[in-house]
Amino acid sequence: MTEYYDELLKVCGFESDEIDRERSRIQKAFKILNLQSEDMKNAEDWVTKNHDISLLGVKKLLRGWLRELIKLVLAKEEGKKVVYYGFPTITGPGMAIAAASEEVYSACPDVILCHTMGQIFNKLNPILEAGEANGLPAGHSLCTLQTIRVGALAEQIIPVPDLVLTSSYYCDAGSLTDKLLHFRYGHPAIYVDGSMDSSWGEYPAYSQDRITFLGAQLNKIFDKTEEILGVKVTRQVWDKALSISRELYKGLGQLARLTLADPIPVSQADVELAVNLSAGCTGKAITDGFDAVSTLVQEVRERVDKGIGIIDKGAPRVMFFTSPFSDASITRMIENTGLALAVTFVSAPTPKRKHNARQLTIGEEVAEREMIYGVYHSNYGFIKRWIAIIKELNIDGVIYGYQFNCRPLSQPSHLLPKVIEEETGLPCMSLEMDYYDSRIYSAEALKTKVETFAEMLRAKKASGKKIAADNKIV
Amino acid sequence: MPIQESMEMLSSHLKMRIADLGKMKKDGSKIVGYLPGGYLPEELVLACGAIPICLVRGGDHSVVERSGAYINRWIDPFCRAQIGYATTGNDLYYKIIDILAIPITDNHIRAVSDVLAYNTNIEIFPFGVPHIKDKSTLEYYLQGITKLKERLENLTGVVIKESKLREAIELCNRERELFKKISLMRKHKDVSISAKDFVALNHGSFLADKGVMVELLESLYNEISKKSTPSNRRPRILLTGSTLALGDTKILDLVEQAGGLIVIEEFAEGIRQYWENVKTYGDLMKNLADCYFWERVPPAWFRDSDERFDFLIKIARDFNVAGVIWYELMYRESYKLESYYFSEILKKKIGLPMLVIDSGYDLAERGPMLTRIETFIEMIRR
Repeated sequence: MTEYYDELLKVCGFESDEIDRERSRIQKAFKILNLQSEDMKNAEDWVTKNHDISLLGVKKLLRGWLRELIKLVLAKEEGKKVVYYGFPTITGPGMAIAAASEEVYSACPDVILCHTMGQIFNKLNPILEAGEANGLPAGHSLCTLQTIRVGALAEQIIPVPDLVLTSSYYCDAGSLTDKLLHFRYGHPAIYVDGSMDSSWGEYPAYSQDRITFLGAQLNKIFDKTEEILGVKVTRQVWDKALSISRELYKGLGQLARLTLADPIPVSQADVELAVNLSAGCTGKAITDGFDAVSTLVQEVRERVDKGIGIIDKGAPRVMFFTSPFSDASITRMIENTGLALAVTFVSAPTPKRKHNARQLTIGEEVAEREMIYGVYHSNYGFIKRWIAIIKELNIDGVIYGYQFNCRPLSQPSHLLPKVIEEETGLPCMSLEMDYYDSRIYSAEALKTKVETFAEMLRAKKASGKKIAADNKIV
Repeated sequence: MPIQESMEMLSSHLKMRIADLGKMKKDGSKIVGYLPGGYLPEELVLACGAIPICLVRGGDHSVVERSGAYINRWIDPFCRAQIGYATTGNDLYYKIIDILAIPITDNHIRAVSDVLAYNTNIEIFPFGVPHIKDKSTLEYYLQGITKLKERLENLTGVVIKESKLREAIELCNRERELFKKISLMRKHKDVSISAKDFVALNHGSFLADKGVMVELLESLYNEISKKSTPSNRRPRILLTGSTLALGDTKILDLVEQAGGLIVIEEFAEGIRQYWENVKTYGDLMKNLADCYFWERVPPAWFRDSDERFDFLIKIARDFNVAGVIWYELMYRESYKLESYYFSEILKKKIGLPMLVIDSGYDLAERGPMLTRIETFIEMIRR
């Protein structure tokens, strides 16, 4: 017996026997998500247009995301205690809580919905509209990732959580939205606070006070989780969580290095499916993700060895922030202008922690990592990390696509290109966009700006000359 | 001293203020600028003989536009205005300060800190204001103001003695007390001071010499407490929101024009926090942290809203208001999100209606804003 969704699921890497085995769960979840037969053809077209499904690794990644979606939607019904964490900064503790108990389902639901209802089904708009009608109105530059969470809860397509972990040390909007949701649904929230009060120029140094403070706040997650859910996160559990994700991160590192090849062997739209697995999910997708990433690494390596690329060899090589979560057609559009998206900020290797003589708590370890990463240190730290990556890799230009309604990401809109151009001499374009909602910032809307930038970079390549930061060929 | 006379006196003091500050600077005094929000203890500045100046101007869209070369448009207009004032060099207060202390309250304020640090020659001293109240956050705030104290001591070459700090606390306590007394007088039917005057006094206090200000408030309080004022039958309003900047008089003018009477204001930025005083015994630095962080009603960017909502409901009751006007600046997401559900809470708990007004400091918003305010006041008048 086949159903209306079988073909799409096969496109997304499911085997027939798995579909049969999971049929009742799939049907239940699709019903809640209001996914009907007419959505399947659209999804097939959308997926095949934006993703390279000739790569088995990509199909496996799509499968991983879909399995996570089903798990998310049915979590309460399947007897799980549901924990949601905020993106991008609470993934480690979220993973540790999931590792601590089989009874817990822990995830970032908005990221899962972006990758499935957005990237696979192209049906995110009703969720966004529901979010706008339930506290995050359009026109006020409110975070669209949070709008998705609010909309999905309002539409009852994801369960009301038993606990929310909110990163309050980077963005304000996540915490403020969780405050709104607490008012609406009454679930408890743990706010992990911090303060990005470093002076301009301080990075890579940071004050010990920030580590102590943020560390204490992160440790609070584990105390409160035990108090609220009865789930204890020990050092052993923490290490187990790290080991689960370590293999995945290793594969992601290999993939990032392979995408530096000329010609570029794989689209960043496909790489992104792997990169954000660990950001959105803690369960099956992570374990399945390892196999998917390994497969993709092997396939991409073969392409590199054979000199196969998705765009011409010698194309201008660009560094980008990240690929959009909901709409891979934007990444494809950039690549179609002839730019090689060689590296993204989020997939670039992160600096290692130095040995610390003092025994740190789990929270302090995470806090220290966050400082070194730059993004959570300061605008200066963020910009300096870009510069370090650019200097290490062979890049021709930079596109800083900033999430317009994210205050931490949008505030360096002018600073980042200016400092990068001053310190590296590379042209850098600030591109106002939306990684989660492409209703306004669609591929078509962004195309003219990207094309112009691509033309400029090509002129540089053709002339073999340098382009100065003021766009003059010298 | 009658209100009119007090306001004129304040106005002439402020007219001469830049010139006076220029002279004092020439004579070796240090001028410490800071951004509003109520998290900078002026006592620390005064105790080392420096002059605190709060950069509280706003409301002018042309200045906001000038910030466009340095920041995108999705940042709160008050914060963008600070970037506009500081980068164009047209604001004399920004030109005269020796250091700009910035309590980092949220991402909008953080944007101002970094944009000015990179694009101007102003020395920026950021320090953190956490967003929840617990032991570790209080400790962090205390560490921040302790670092500020050290920086101020280095800047002025004056080590802050406990006696000097106590003296400064007493002076600032007196100012807060007077503001509180004058404000509380508005609980009565016969309101003795208009919101415009009260706000002007408040704004003036951010720039004026502290001694002059306290003297002026003393004299004003003595005068209005003796005077009887005719009853006013206009609908009483609580005005609350994110920022009420010096120069941003649109909302005050429009409410008055529409026949409303603002009897109490509560703002995160632009209105001095006068409800609590700093204790003058024990560990004075800890007392400052207690008053400025722990006891202070938290703004909307704090992660827990209950304390703030309870306070708003309390003052709405105490001042016997007929409605609440929530005045938020565009893109300050904390206030936008809270406005959505606070109106429900207000209705449920005390049956009061609330009007939400957004401002981008744009002149064109005046007409639609007036229509909405008029309609609201007509509704609550009944």
